[in-house]
Amino acid sequence: MHIGRTVLLAFFLASFANAQNPLQNDPAAADTGRGVFRIYCSPCHGIRAQGARGPDLTQTLGASGKSDDDLFRIISTGSPGTEMPGFADSLDDENRWHTISYLRSIAKQQPAQVAGNAAAGRDLYWGKGGCPACHRIASKGGRLGPDLSRIGSARSAWYLRESVVAPSADITPGYNTIAVVQKDGKKITGVERGYDNFTAQLMDTTEEFHSFEKADVVSVKRESRSLMPDTYGKLLSAAELDDLLAYLTSLGRPEAGK
Amino acid sequence: MKLFALAAVPIFLVAADVSTQRLVQSQDDAASWLMYGKNYGAWRYSALKQIDSSNIARLAPQWIFQASGAAPMETTPLVFDGLMFFTGSANHAYALDLATGKEVWRYERPVPKGVQGCCGTVNRGFAALGSKLFKVNIEAKLVALDARSGEPLWETTVDDFKMGFSTTAAPLVVKNQVIVGIAGAEFGTRGFIDSYDAETGKRRWRFHTVAAPGEPGGDTWKSDAWQRGGGSTWVTGSYDPELNLIYWGTGNPGPDMNGDVRPGDNLYTCSMVALDADTGQLKWHFQFTPHDVHDWDATEDPVLVDLTIAGKKVKALIQANRNGFAYALDRTTGKMLAAKPYTKVTWASGIDKAGRPVLLPGQDPSEEGTVSCPGLGGGHNWQPTSYSPLTGLFYFGSSDGCQTYYKSEQQYVKGRWYQLSTAEPIAHASGVGSVIAVDPSTGETKWRFETVGAPSGGMLTTAGGLLFTGDRHGYFIAFDGRSGKPLWKFQTGGPIVGGPVSYLFQGRQYIAVAAGSSIIAFAIPGRVSNK
Repeated sequence: MHIGRTVLLAFFLASFANAQNPLQNDPAAADTGRGVFRIYCSPCHGIRAQGARGPDLTQTLGASGKSDDDLFRIISTGSPGTEMPGFADSLDDENRWHTISYLRSIAKQQPAQVAGNAAAGRDLYWGKGGCPACHRIASKGGRLGPDLSRIGSARSAWYLRESVVAPSADITPGYNTIAVVQKDGKKITGVERGYDNFTAQLMDTTEEFHSFEKADVVSVKRESRSLMPDTYGKLLSAAELDDLLAYLTSLGRPEAGK
Repeated sequence: MKLFALAAVPIFLVAADVSTQRLVQSQDDAASWLMYGKNYGAWRYSALKQIDSSNIARLAPQWIFQASGAAPMETTPLVFDGLMFFTGSANHAYALDLATGKEVWRYERPVPKGVQGCCGTVNRGFAALGSKLFKVNIEAKLVALDARSGEPLWETTVDDFKMGFSTTAAPLVVKNQVIVGIAGAEFGTRGFIDSYDAETGKRRWRFHTVAAPGEPGGDTWKSDAWQRGGGSTWVTGSYDPELNLIYWGTGNPGPDMNGDVRPGDNLYTCSMVALDADTGQLKWHFQFTPHDVHDWDATEDPVLVDLTIAGKKVKALIQANRNGFAYALDRTTGKMLAAKPYTKVTWASGIDKAGRPVLLPGQDPSEEGTVSCPGLGGGHNWQPTSYSPLTGLFYFGSSDGCQTYYKSEQQYVKGRWYQLSTAEPIAHASGVGSVIAVDPSTGETKWRFETVGAPSGGMLTTAGGLLFTGDRHGYFIAFDGRSGKPLWKFQTGGPIVGGPVSYLFQGRQYIAVAAGSSIIAFAIPGRVSNK
């Protein structure tokens, strides 16, 4: 066996796959990157990268095993199937590397552990919690709320906790509540599927789609509240809530299977 | 009402000849659209009136041109001599046949590696003179093209893109010179307005929008920060041929959110400057936001109108400023005539008689975040405004709301991003905006149409009493100009960001607008009333 050549080739491939940030020895790169991050990334990842609608990058990046090259690709082209868009059109190569320098400077290698038992949380989710009535995981469950199949990699832990106990605290874009009163007096309430200056589209609680011209109905209200019940903080004990959060944060995480 | 059937007249491409006289009289040439703002006063008002409230319901697309790779398009097309000329993002430009919308020629240049810009590789349009078209490329270049073929005739470097300079605004032709603005205040650049010889591309003069030590205004920079003081000029200005003055709005000082490193008023940032058209010498300036820390550029359209204020006629300049106030200035002297908020403003209680804002405390960006109104994008941002002499009203879009402003510290590195933080939306504050009609002599809002999210499109008014604009959801909309009532809409399938135009072709009035990566030409099909 040509072990030596195989090892050499593997080393070469590994090096290629883990292309390093060309600015890694530039002491000012992280500083510039923070400025770029605050403009382009903070709307989802938070002003200090601690997550909101996007993942907490201080916690998730270090453990993700992603190389600089992986990060460059994700920032450039986005992450298909997630809410992460690509920035190749708005940020040149150097500014994408600046951003990576900043992220490396703040990423913790030992992320905080989420308390709770994920297996017990899974049982709660599919049982007592009744979550599948509105949410989907791996193509099972309802369509009214956001698909949670990868929610652990898409949201920070604190944001998920807030979403469970106070679902209206921050609404994922496109999940506001739309309430329509038709000319015959009939009221239809559902989750936003579209809303603009002249029309509104919604999915009602039976997962039926409706589209309205605002001019053709008595009123259309777009309410900054979630249709999800705000009673989970009372329905679940503190320990159960931790378990549920442990399960949710494991969804879509590479380390979830460990 | 006289009705006539349109005859099938063959159209021949004729040698374009946009003379300086034709430009000065562009408002009388309702059939064409010869410059970014329609006329030198940037009115964006078409004297065409075939389309009005009585027939707007029948307005329909006649052709659509797909400019692949050119989105997003912030362009205002030019129309003359049987052709439409427009620019797109990423150094694209096109000429189209007005009869069919088919491409006649195309210009493309690759965007060089290393070009930086705050906001993409956008471009806002052409300028024209004789048989030449002028446009900027994103890498801070000015090019002249043959309007008949698209062939490049000359190319001039405006400045070094590696230092953070870029160019996005439609040039303004004045006499035989091409006036160009610059972008790049987020990269520690020092802004300017340039004049180039239309024949050769050679630079004639440069006016720096950031005063150096020893120059008038230089004492408003208390440190060496003037060297990277911003003051971009990224939206096209206007021109008064009688006064021979060019008016151009200037952008925010740099760094945007941290004013600690640049104490002083920071002239001539966030200002209107009036320059002698032949020499580029400063005749007057008016600073809207001294020592700005909220990124409230004053680059918005400077619109030249003659107003009657307190019974006296005055040559005025009106602007919907990003800082939340609508202003009227005397365009001969630069003195303020009126200023009034058109949206929620928390940073100033008003503007004093000398034109200086009366500041309110606790509004500056901070490390932990400071809520202030309006938000980062304004009030009104760069999108084209319109003045209608028919209604006497001034029309523009506004983002209505507040944002949390953050500042940070950062070492300046040549050519690198140097904004020193940003602003974030406020939770639960749903993004709302409005299309607004203002009485320009008082600043009083006459009507307001509330929109979902900030309005995105430019404005066009017509002698048919209509206001056209578009939104980010793809709707192209016609309003009654007097009442603000929406009369018609069409879903284009792409966000509308640029300025609509109107022109006459084979006796029929058209309205054209860029939407997404398309240009769409609308008209009323069938017989047309000859109003």
